[in-house]
Amino acid sequence: MNDPHRDAGAATFTASHDGACDDVQLLRRIGQGDEDAMAAFYREHGRVVLAQVLLVTGERVLAEEILQDTMLAVWRGAASFRGESSARSWVIAIARRQTRDRLRSRRLRVVDDAFLADQPGPGPGPEVTALDRAELAEVTAAIRELPAPHREVLGLAFGSGLSLPEVAGVLEIPVGTVKSRLTAARTALSRILNEKGQNR
Amino acid sequence: MNARPADTHLDLEDLIAEVTGQPVDDRAREHLARCEHCRAEANRWDLVAGGVRRLAAATPEAPQPARPGGPRPTRLRVLAAPRRRAVLAAGVAAALVLVAAVGYGASRFVHITFGTAGPGASTVLTAVTGCTGLQQAVGTLEQVNGTSLVIKTAGGQPVTVTTTASTFVSMSGALRSDITDGASVVVHGPRSGGTIGAVTVTVGPPFSAVSSPGFVSVRGTVSDVSSAGFTLVTSTGTRVPVTTNGDTLVVVPHASLGQLRHGATIFAVGHAGPGGTLSARAVAAVSQLPPGVPPGLHAPAGAHLHISVHLRTQGHARNCSPSAITEALALGA
Repeated sequence: MNDPHRDAGAATFTASHDGACDDVQLLRRIGQGDEDAMAAFYREHGRVVLAQVLLVTGERVLAEEILQDTMLAVWRGAASFRGESSARSWVIAIARRQTRDRLRSRRLRVVDDAFLADQPGPGPGPEVTALDRAELAEVTAAIRELPAPHREVLGLAFGSGLSLPEVAGVLEIPVGTVKSRLTAARTALSRILNEKGQNR
Repeated sequence: MNARPADTHLDLEDLIAEVTGQPVDDRAREHLARCEHCRAEANRWDLVAGGVRRLAAATPEAPQPARPGGPRPTRLRVLAAPRRRAVLAAGVAAALVLVAAVGYGASRFVHITFGTAGPGASTVLTAVTGCTGLQQAVGTLEQVNGTSLVIKTAGGQPVTVTTTASTFVSMSGALRSDITDGASVVVHGPRSGGTIGAVTVTVGPPFSAVSSPGFVSVRGTVSDVSSAGFTLVTSTGTRVPVTTNGDTLVVVPHASLGQLRHGATIFAVGHAGPGGTLSARAVAAVSQLPPGVPPGLHAPAGAHLHISVHLRTQGHARNCSPSAITEALALGA
């Protein structure tokens, strides 16, 4: 923890810790059965995972259950973490699989790859104009109305702190496909804004 | 980051990196500065990102099943497995660790300190250390012109801070008048005899719950506001008396420019714009700061407010994204 008074006299941004190193160490300790490490990992990533799952499922109770299942999987599987991805993308990938399993059991789909892959890019058009004129609150409301696959890729790209290659790793698709999905999601978002007549 | 001919527009990966505060190479930044098309695209993505971040901000804290009051029925089922119980107990322990670590004076996100004007007092915009291209400005709010703010720095120089729809604006201070009947709030403070003595009241969707030893955090709707406090109506209909006083810190994480008070101290972070302006990603307004907040830090007469923001790291890089900045500002304000 940095000295809170160290930078008195100037407004300064400073880093508090190296999260990547912390995560690797935490997962190593979790793999050895260290509950304190598990607690720290839960604290570090739980809320982000919950936000992402909630964004996809739209159901808080279900999202919390998936979070618990995810953390249980982390507890059981930490020893297998090889550090080939960041801990954040690893745990989110676990959460995604848990979400998919839960929704499959309810005969719902979380991602339809074919549907997403075929979506056209936006190009210039009324949708872009709609987004230009939209307010943040309107965009937020419109995101809630997007299909789950669109919400998922937007959440991963903008709400989880992952880079696009990491998003691609979580979704198990090429980066180029992530881009096309993001573009499709934005197009769908703009269309919702247009249809709702929220932009003049 | 992508290698790219100088005269072509930015790739989506660069635009996303720009919006999320991830590293962007100099050529991309230079292109963005001169390309109206790419700036418009970045603004559109920033707006989409802002919507996602706002949804994430409204996400409740990760559940802590062993919290006093007992788990909900749905969670009893989740707790059935012994190992799972151990995991969740660990989560509760984590919360306690967090409580111990995130007192007002030791937040991992942000620190507010007071002092006299330093050597940089006459500086209008200053670079944010570790966040390439980001600038910051601190001053007193003079006026609001539509989507722009005019602030006066400690050196007396005016700075125009421009905002967009995706700029996060938060405010805090002894703003009890912003606690109104029907408002959704999170009350944080010690509980005694069924009454919560509010240390902080967060109005609207919070960024994140910050807890302290001996305090409870209760979410609900405000009712029966008076000069002495209000009644908090929880989602189950429980009515909890809440007392407030001049030391109660009221935080509005998602404020509008119109809500900002003249004379408030404005802390803005963004990119340098034309004519010495600052195009803000995040604006935090601190007004009528209670003398006891943060505990032990009192503002001497005539002192200028100094803020240092501690950003969390993302991998080996600082997370300079708007959401990280905003979270830091809102939590610390």
